Amino acid sequence: MNKRMFVAACTIGVLTLTACGGKDGGASANGEVTLKLVAADYGDKASNSSTAYWNDVAQRFTAANPKIKVDVQVINWNDIDSQVKTMIQSGNVPDVLQTGGYADKVADDLLYKADEVLSEPTRKNLIDSFAKAGEVDGTQYGIPFVSSARAFFYNKTLFAKAGITEAPRNWDELKAAAQKIKAKVPGVTPYALPLGPEEAQGESLIWELGNGGGYTDAKGGYTLDAKANVEAFSWLKTNLVGPGLTYANPATTDRKTAFADFAAGKTAMLNGHPSLIQMSKDGKVDYGVAPIPGKSGPLASTLGVADWMMAFKDGGHKEEVRKFLDFAYSKENTLKFDETYNLMPVTEDTLKEMTANGKHKDLEPFFTLLPNAVFYPLGDTTWDAVSAEIKKSGGTAVNDPAKVLGELQKKAEAAVADQ
Amino acid sequence: MSTTSSATRPGRKGPGGLARLGPLPWIGPATLLIVLVVLWPVYEMVRTSFLKISSSGFVRGSAGTDKYKQLFEDPALPSVVVSTVMWTIVVVTTTMVISLALAQLFNQRFPGRRVTRWALIAPWAASLVMTAIGFKWMLNQTSGVLNTVMKDLGLIDGPKDWLGDPSTAWPWMMFVAVFVSLPFTTYTLLAGLQTIPTEVYEAAKVDGTNTWQTYLRITLPLLRPALLVGMVINLINVFNSFPIIWSMTRGGPDSDTATTTVFMYQLKNADIGQSAAMSVVNFALVVVMVVLFLKAARWNQEENR
Repeated sequence: MNKRMFVAACTIGVLTLTACGGKDGGASANGEVTLKLVAADYGDKASNSSTAYWNDVAQRFTAANPKIKVDVQVINWNDIDSQVKTMIQSGNVPDVLQTGGYADKVADDLLYKADEVLSEPTRKNLIDSFAKAGEVDGTQYGIPFVSSARAFFYNKTLFAKAGITEAPRNWDELKAAAQKIKAKVPGVTPYALPLGPEEAQGESLIWELGNGGGYTDAKGGYTLDAKANVEAFSWLKTNLVGPGLTYANPATTDRKTAFADFAAGKTAMLNGHPSLIQMSKDGKVDYGVAPIPGKSGPLASTLGVADWMMAFKDGGHKEEVRKFLDFAYSKENTLKFDETYNLMPVTEDTLKEMTANGKHKDLEPFFTLLPNAVFYPLGDTTWDAVSAEIKKSGGTAVNDPAKVLGELQKKAEAAVADQ
Repeated sequence: MSTTSSATRPGRKGPGGLARLGPLPWIGPATLLIVLVVLWPVYEMVRTSFLKISSSGFVRGSAGTDKYKQLFEDPALPSVVVSTVMWTIVVVTTTMVISLALAQLFNQRFPGRRVTRWALIAPWAASLVMTAIGFKWMLNQTSGVLNTVMKDLGLIDGPKDWLGDPSTAWPWMMFVAVFVSLPFTTYTLLAGLQTIPTEVYEAAKVDGTNTWQTYLRITLPLLRPALLVGMVINLINVFNSFPIIWSMTRGGPDSDTATTTVFMYQLKNADIGQSAAMSVVNFALVVVMVVLFLKAARWNQEENR
């Protein structure tokens, strides 16, 4: 008897330990379907968490489509990548995912094509440049969700103190302005250069674009160590980092720090995106927005960033997903999301509404930037791996441009060969 | 069931089934636990290191030994290994030396001993991550209190970005690691000190040894078991130490402040397979280190006999 009890106890133990792995969404007997939605959290505190937004969308959607329930799971940006990875690895794949990148999932043939899960009107409504950025080899898989673009922010009060009247238009003017600020306003970081793991890939690209460089050539091959890129970093090294016109260790300074410093009036210039507007207002900083300075003049096209929506094939809920996405992309919902987080729209109707309704004067300089935005090589299925490498070591290129960029290029080529 | 078992062993009297199982019912649960929480993860870890897993988490099949090749060809690996060795040696040695002194101090009778003994537990009781983040903010360039204090004391000219530069980040992280390792080590040694019988000291006194001789010839040798336990546990702990470095620098810039454990975590972002390969190497290193250390320690013991 004891042996039997022992075996029983062990079995129960094993069952309890493994029970958590067996959760399976999908259709139940009465034809009800539960869609699993995983989304990133755009809020910075509990009160404006995206959970509330998605729960509300899910509730209204289910009210309109009683047979389809939506299970909402909102994950913060730091964890979402690794958690989604774990979900895919363990076979617990979401039906709909809203996060930062999509192309690596295309490489593994996990996603529905955009035209399979979006109705014609919804698809037409997406702004062209973004829809294009969602393509892998000519087929759209990534559905843009929100966007933002970079612009040059400067602190007008600090500029006045240093006797600078105009925002710098090129690198030399930026350096001159930084020198004046360093001399006349001590204790302030003249230019914030965040090349830490959080944003190395963005800030690097902005500077490389300023010198006519970039991450890929016209054919889409990686050119991380192109001459123009090495030159851009060499310029940063000798003109900003060396003379102490920016942070002492840009490679470990994150964008978060740079933004917080700007909002606290501790830094005079930086490249920012729309969320900095609210931060600056909260910090009572009198800020100006200007085009990003390039080597010889302002950048013709700035860096655009989009976050993505994608639908996984695993659950097989194509019809239900289409209904849900059509609902989620209605003007009412996208407008609410964009206005809550001060983000830029990716749909024509919402863009029109936001430009016209006069509530978004602050965002105007950004609306004009959107059509000309340059993107990361998002449609490249190796981009996520390459981007991870750039985040990790790209910032140290300000110490030794040729060596660091050369090593990154090698890793990128290995990633391409390894596909 | 018991009838069948007694039938197969007719010659035996007394309890049936249970006795036949021998010690299994007693060690069974523990063995099962070890299999579930130790052996199975180790198996999974080794298996993953031979897999090709895409950055989206999708398993694309076997990678053979490619992940190990990639790992050993990684230009960052040599400096990471050297840093790990330095980190372990410096932190463990410093901790042991300071703890020996502290244990000796706390073994004396003095007013307020109880309160100071409690106070020593504080860094142990606090979560590692909490302590590390606390120090990270105290060292912050723009608002860190330690920067202000050092500036006011005239130790530095202006606030420094201590954690941004590997040459200053390492000493600070080692300081924090020693700080959090002290309580456990000190208490282990203190417990060891209290097991040394007073008669031995009395005998030594009668023989006319001076304080230093007593310490070297009596206290230290009799403290060996405690010393050994403290050392081995610290070696493993410090070698595997992740929260301190991850909270303070995330191993950056690049991998310049990473130990192998942190490096493993950094690799995870780009390639889980390679990261698993690093874990396997790490695991092997810990095992080798501990075996070597135990061997060396026992060899000493025998020589002394």
